[in-house]
Amino acid sequence: MSQSLRPYLTAVRYSLEAALTLTNFSSQEVERHNRPEIEVPNTSAELLLQPMHIARSETEQVLIEPSVNSVRISLMVKQADEIEQILVHKFTIFLEQRAEAFHILRRVPIKGYSISFLITNKHTESMKTGKLVDFIIEFMEEVDKEISEMKLFLNARARFVANEYLGEFVY
Amino acid sequence: MAETNWRRIDIDAFDPESGRLTRKDIEPPYSSQITSQEVSSKISQLRSLASSGDSKAAVALAVSDPPYSGDEATKNEYFKAVLETLSTVRQADIAGIVGDLTPVQQDALVKYLYKGMSVPEGQRQGGILLAWFERVTQVAGVRPVSHFINDRNTV
Amino acid sequence: MSNPSVSAVFKLVKAPIYSHCFSQDKSLLAVTCKNDCLVYRFTNGTPQLVATLSNHDKTVTAVDISIHGRIVTCSQDRNAYVWEPLSDGTYKPTLVLLRINRAATCVAWAPNGYKFAVGSSARIIAVCYYEQENNWWVSKHIKKPIKSTVGCLSWHANGVLLASGGTDGYLRIFSGFIKGLDSKDAVAGSPWGEKFPFGALVREFYHGCYIEDVQWRSSVERIGYVSHEGTLNVVDSANNHSQINAPDGLPFNTLLWINDHEILCAGFSNHPVLFTEAAGGWQFAKDLDKPASADSSVHNAVNNNEDLDESEDASTTFGISALRKFKQLDLKGKVSADVNETTHENTITQLLSYKEANGQVTQASACGLDGKVVIYNI
Repeated sequence: MSQSLRPYLTAVRYSLEAALTLTNFSSQEVERHNRPEIEVPNTSAELLLQPMHIARSETEQVLIEPSVNSVRISLMVKQADEIEQILVHKFTIFLEQRAEAFHILRRVPIKGYSISFLITNKHTESMKTGKLVDFIIEFMEEVDKEISEMKLFLNARARFVANEYLGEFVY
Repeated sequence: MAETNWRRIDIDAFDPESGRLTRKDIEPPYSSQITSQEVSSKISQLRSLASSGDSKAAVALAVSDPPYSGDEATKNEYFKAVLETLSTVRQADIAGIVGDLTPVQQDALVKYLYKGMSVPEGQRQGGILLAWFERVTQVAGVRPVSHFINDRNTV
Repeated sequence: MSNPSVSAVFKLVKAPIYSHCFSQDKSLLAVTCKNDCLVYRFTNGTPQLVATLSNHDKTVTAVDISIHGRIVTCSQDRNAYVWEPLSDGTYKPTLVLLRINRAATCVAWAPNGYKFAVGSSARIIAVCYYEQENNWWVSKHIKKPIKSTVGCLSWHANGVLLASGGTDGYLRIFSGFIKGLDSKDAVAGSPWGEKFPFGALVREFYHGCYIEDVQWRSSVERIGYVSHEGTLNVVDSANNHSQINAPDGLPFNTLLWINDHEILCAGFSNHPVLFTEAAGGWQFAKDLDKPASADSSVHNAVNNNEDLDESEDASTTFGISALRKFKQLDLKGKVSADVNETTHENTITQLLSYKEANGQVTQASACGLDGKVVIYNI
């Protein structure tokens, strides 16, 4: 798996480094507000930058949407079958319910993606950009591993349950 | 009931003085628009180079002077030809080709890579595009990516 | 300090500093800190907090000190204050009638200290001056053809020409001529034009992406600016334009002319970079305060990932996962240790001249998002 995972993560790393160049930017629409421009229905096209798609395959992608003061990162986690779909859904829901502990996690992923992060200038001011990038990359590595491990456990358990249950009928 | 929505009307949009910029406004001022004939002659040039096996020249041509000023249809046609060219290059040759590109050509190449990864045709060959991407960043670092996100010239 | 390019480091606050300014004799330092502006007095090289200017109720975005010692602050609460120093060391605030309805983003005193310009998110530049009869600071607006937030301003030494840049991707030069304050002699023979009525657009350069900072070099009638795509650009009155990329690829936030042919830039790569003009155009000269290992950090990280993947393939059993976890943490720790060796630990937001000799800047001060002010030797 390292063959195509490495270029994928490298691409995400470079894209994030370029995107995490945020400034404190006060809204030009609403008085005395300072809001992440990527998240609001935006009426000033110049504040959004080019979105970046990084795809390893059709089912495994990252979308990075930069703007002047915020970046939204959305992951599409690989879901090969229905079990993985359920596991990914449960896993991301679990994290999203605890979003405030993660600071940069978005409570709802954007449409078509499994999980979204929102990094604003507040985050890059209080945390180191390099660490933020490391965190996202680590998360991407971990989530795949986690899902496949959970799937293995699930299968093993199902097998055990089936053995036990069907064993009752053997005389 | 249709009347109830008036509270949600964005009145600033009707004010010509509001100074808002739309997607159209931030396009760079092009002096002339490229025609579809010019693009299709370039595409056939690309195909003949690619079929003759000179992948280096083909890639260099593909990423020189992309049709920034063309309309969507022209851009897409050209993009498909570029994607074809990129996917025919053997993995081992990529590093050599990327190293010989000028910085401006590298910037253009990165634009096509990102565009490639945003459409299903390119996503199916994600591995190849990522290999290209990795080589570009090895040569040029984060610079072409910085240029990409800020550049209003789209491919 | 072991690093020869760093002369002094002052860790002042635990918040980002967007802007700082030294007084003329370098005895006072004003920095922005959240909703306040803090004034420090230097005694024997150590800063001591002497005043907190706290009339703003939103983030203070910029501060500047005039040659007469007046401090001007502007903030996202749409206001600007001029702080007059009193004899007992306190400051008397005067509200400036900016008449803008969005945040004020940047402020710059004109070289003579009798007027200043404020840029804003309301797509307006307000040029403010003191009106004796009414005893307050009033403003005149420059509106057209600004299309987006104004992010940076710079006055020409003649006090009339005002360069501005912002998120709409244009570098514009306006006339900030105020009748009764400025004399026409100041701009006589200027290569930028003949007549400069207030608010006139003198020149416009299209760049495309955000312009982060702009600085005049009046002696050679040129303007340097840095943009968000990571480039340094120099333009002159004959529309000659030269451009050079940042060596790290990350954008610069600020620039400072060292002399007529050298520019110091700094930004998201956390350390200043010096460019020089040679026969063949502008070139990268050197990095200041850049650890040798920093540029390889990304590649280290990539290699580490590779190593990890290999070890995974070797150990397929679950028992070793704890060991692997610690190994991984160890590797990750190494990666981040490499990165953080610059004196500024986060983005640099503003560079200013600290010491000059023979028309050459020998020391520059920089503030950053890490709450530090650093003096660099050049």
